[in-house]
Amino acid sequence: MDNKLNELKRQYREIPIPEGLDNIIDEAISKHVHRKRIRIRWIAAAAAIAILYISALNISPSFANASSKWPVIGPLAKVLTIREYKVEEPTYKAHIQVPAIADLGDKSLEQQLNNKYSAESKRLYDEFMAEMDDLKKNGGGEAGVESGYVVKTDTDRLLSIGRYVANTVGSSSTTFRYDTVDKVNHVLITLPSLFKDDRYIDLISNNIKEQMIARMKQDKNSFFWVTGNGQQESDLNFRTIEKDSNFYINTDNKLVISFDKYAVAPGSMGIVEFVIPTELIADVLVNQAYVK
Amino acid sequence: MFASPSSKEVLQCILLHKDNAYRLAYTYVRNPDDALDIIQEAIQKALAASKSLKDVSQAKSWFYRIVINAALDFLRKKKNVVTFDEETLETYGLSSQDAYRDFDLEHAMSLLPPLYRSVVVLRYFEDMKIEEIAHVLNENVNTIKTRLYEALRKLRLFMNDENFSKVDENG
Repeated sequence: MDNKLNELKRQYREIPIPEGLDNIIDEAISKHVHRKRIRIRWIAAAAAIAILYISALNISPSFANASSKWPVIGPLAKVLTIREYKVEEPTYKAHIQVPAIADLGDKSLEQQLNNKYSAESKRLYDEFMAEMDDLKKNGGGEAGVESGYVVKTDTDRLLSIGRYVANTVGSSSTTFRYDTVDKVNHVLITLPSLFKDDRYIDLISNNIKEQMIARMKQDKNSFFWVTGNGQQESDLNFRTIEKDSNFYINTDNKLVISFDKYAVAPGSMGIVEFVIPTELIADVLVNQAYVK
Repeated sequence: MFASPSSKEVLQCILLHKDNAYRLAYTYVRNPDDALDIIQEAIQKALAASKSLKDVSQAKSWFYRIVINAALDFLRKKKNVVTFDEETLETYGLSSQDAYRDFDLEHAMSLLPPLYRSVVVLRYFEDMKIEEIAHVLNENVNTIKTRLYEALRKLRLFMNDENFSKVDENG
């Protein structure tokens, strides 16, 4: 593999630089000086576009069935499929289910999430179509994508939805994105919002590293990219979670950190999840309303 | 002409990295003329936005991000405009085939969707660290790792998972 990559790198370094490059750069610099004078007009145009955009958002009708005219509270909230994208060709297959939340009791939060879901699904579909075009142009190939959602948690208080994207050609890969909503108070729960300050990042990261090592000891078949796994140190090793890492809260009210395939372990490990013991983070939790 | 200190830094950075910025753009479009258009666009954007460069030490990754965004914009526009124009496609195909008939790199890049192309180029050809790549692509570190392995998988550089540790040694 190293040889192959080195060969590609050599070819990359040898991509010839056209003589025109320096001219282009000079031109770009002089245009920049010129452009300064007309910038004011662009600002006006941008403002006009922004106004159009805002009014379009205001008049666009919300989902017909997702009416919340009754003063209902959380428990009635439900998740349904509002649209599907499908491609069925012998070597190209896509199946994308777009979820929407209904009856959450808060229109703007509901719409914010639903807009995100439709935009991301649309983008996934567009990317798939582009990849398919590309493959066809280059003599054909295989591509497959499947996307949908699972409701991880649905209690009186909490709703955790996980949306997944799976590559269905070759060895499958899956990514998950979670949203957790407080159905009673109508708020989207973010990871930082659960905690008093940033101390949670280190507490959780250290616990995950311990869990990784423990799992490797317990099960010879499991392997994680982490310091102490018996391999050479690498900058690909897991060091810390992100401030807004992917998470959900399970039905036992425990915080679960989820990593996509390949993020912290070889693909054979798949998606990996770590349930964080509440007592470890109790001191830095804002309260125990969600995580107990 | 260049009032703020960051403008000077940006200009210096552009001149220092112009060749590799061109190569980076080239991997997306595989065509010298288009790559030059992208570079011109990217330089204008970089100069116009030089105030947004907060940390001068990150000028390179900031500039690369602009180049990549310009390349992706270009591909998006091209898709919208000429996808079904056969004549254009033919000319486009011919021009790239003429120049590099047995170009492994070209083939490898054509196997990868643009997002994956970026991580492979930055990691293995530009020798960037995972964290720098995350900064260039404005993504978190774990996403970059996922994409990197995904890209190598698409290139079939790994036949099985045991080979993954070899990537680590490169870092």
